[in-house]
Amino acid sequence: MSQTKVEAPFVANNFAHFKNLVINGDFRVFQRASGSTAIGNGTYSTADRYKTQFSNDGAGTTQQYTMTDADRATTGHSFAWQWDVTTADTSLAAGQLAYFRHFIEAQNCSGLAYGSSAAKTLTLSFWVKSSKTGTYCCTIEKHDSTTYNLPLEYTISSADTWEFKTLVVSPTAGSTSLITGSGGDIAQDNGKGITLYWWLAAGSDYTGGTNNTWTSNTNHLATTNQVNWLDSTSNDWFITGIQFEIGDQATDFEHLPFDVQLQRCMRYYQKIADASHGGAGDAISGGTHYSGTAVYLTTIFHVPMRAEPSMAVSGGTNYFIRYSNGGNDQFDSLAIDDSASPHLFEFFASSGQNHSGGTAGHGCFIRTNNSAAKVAADAEL
Amino acid sequence: MFEGCTIKYNKSPMTGKNCSIQVTYPADSDGTVKSLSVPMKPDNTDYQEILEWVDAGNTIEEAD
Repeated sequence: MSQTKVEAPFVANNFAHFKNLVINGDFRVFQRASGSTAIGNGTYSTADRYKTQFSNDGAGTTQQYTMTDADRATTGHSFAWQWDVTTADTSLAAGQLAYFRHFIEAQNCSGLAYGSSAAKTLTLSFWVKSSKTGTYCCTIEKHDSTTYNLPLEYTISSADTWEFKTLVVSPTAGSTSLITGSGGDIAQDNGKGITLYWWLAAGSDYTGGTNNTWTSNTNHLATTNQVNWLDSTSNDWFITGIQFEIGDQATDFEHLPFDVQLQRCMRYYQKIADASHGGAGDAISGGTHYSGTAVYLTTIFHVPMRAEPSMAVSGGTNYFIRYSNGGNDQFDSLAIDDSASPHLFEFFASSGQNHSGGTAGHGCFIRTNNSAAKVAADAEL
Repeated sequence: MFEGCTIKYNKSPMTGKNCSIQVTYPADSDGTVKSLSVPMKPDNTDYQEILEWVDAGNTIEEAD
């Protein structure tokens, strides 16, 4: 039997794979939309795995930004996430805010040893650029047991210039023992483990935090130094290359193959059909007429999902069509039955979705029937 | 949370019982209506948010 020698550097490098706890840190995956889209409050609108909170008197958009050659030469990345103010809010009320979050699944935090004296030091690094200089805040939020928050300031020093930021996350920041005590535990489950925040504006309800000090106060997420990025429609803001890793210094960004990054995103959100790509007529699924009115269908997910997902539908009058027995019927939407699973959807169209016609026992298949029709599975945190 | 949405149960055509919750957002200008069909499963974060919305004094509409 022949043997193949495996060189030591190859073995060592293998252990470094998936060092980045952030998924889609290089902003290549935008399954929902990549073009300019209004910022929602509590929604995932554009970039996969990043949820926006936007409660203020202003308005804005986000989109995928394609880097110039000069951008790539500086950052080493091909894409970024772009934010723009379209309606300014120059005076934030106490409860108003603008931020986005990235949720890290709890069972992916098992190597951090939080809740023990061996809790690891972590490092958050990213590239950022904005027309608005000044102090901004990130928050590290630890879930499970007791929720603890760590506000961390960083400064954008030069307008419209890419800057690399490194924030060290000590488990004892501020000479605290919250993370090393039993309340620092993170459960080994599919819920939230650690949430990363990037603040763009924070009303006074949220700025009671002390920079680089862990707190159990769930409102002390930012500091009073946080700028109000919403104060002008001239303001923009870009970020890419987010990496969150064990250790007290930032290491080279972990570039994953696109298919790997996409599949990691699909644990949390995956498209079933999207007619915007090729016009109406995208196949969705095949199924059976359960009755003269109701058709039942199943779709197996490309990647098992984090939990039983919701079905996200962009529908409307006659946005979908069912074919069977040489005929068809147009209908408006879809709904899932109670047999939800992380592995597949069982769903139906019936009178509640404006579906009718057909014969029990006949096979059928359904397609999109409008270029705006979409169907997706959503199991985000 | 759920501003302007209608939130009602879906009834299973198979069992006649409530089988999921439909969150329907206001229509876009082009007539597109976004909705979420939410399983009543504790690990689903949309379901968690609906339960918080109910705890705040709101009521899920019965299915048609």
